[in-house]
Amino acid sequence: MGSRLDAVLAKGLPKRDKKNANRVNLWALGWMFSLMANAILTKIFDQGTSALWGVIFVAHVVAGVMLVLSYRRFLSELDEMERKVQLEAMALAVGLSLLVYSAGSILHSVDLLPAPDASIMLVVMSFSYMAGLIIGRIRLA
Amino acid sequence: MKNRLKVLRAEHDLTQADLASKLDVSRQTIIAIEKGKFDPSLSLAFKVSRLFEQPIEEIFDGGI
Repeated sequence: MGSRLDAVLAKGLPKRDKKNANRVNLWALGWMFSLMANAILTKIFDQGTSALWGVIFVAHVVAGVMLVLSYRRFLSELDEMERKVQLEAMALAVGLSLLVYSAGSILHSVDLLPAPDASIMLVVMSFSYMAGLIIGRIRLA
Repeated sequence: MKNRLKVLRAEHDLTQADLASKLDVSRQTIIAIEKGKFDPSLSLAFKVSRLFEQPIEEIFDGGI
């Protein structure tokens, strides 16, 4: 049980990988906060200044690009078994998100569901990615 | 893939953490290789081979 928990928590990764993972997490937080800032400010101000939205837009794009670049570096330098787990989890997340979107679109076309929303896709992608990580780590533990 | 990693590690009096550190991989990777659940890359197999000073085919059984 203990070794499986260690595996799920990815304990024992080399320091380099932990440092790269922390960098990815920081940029992911920045990216998420810029998205939240947009959602909150849109509710507070009906018509904000274009400068404010410009700052949020630039912050969001910069955080997003840095997130992609830091994740790429994280993957390329990562411990090889953990890389396999990460890539399989990503494949699951992308595949499941596409499936949910396409199935949702079919149900929307016959008025059984509202149009698939981007926020729902983000949630599906995040949860399936996390599930993929846990399944992969337990399988190889 | 079957392998003799656990035996060689014991012969050299190394813990899983020691071996992971020497090979620059995680301890989980060593555990998975020893259990035959994960096949190492060629570069990692070469590192193991150099560390234990044995040919790759004497450490890893490719099942050929």
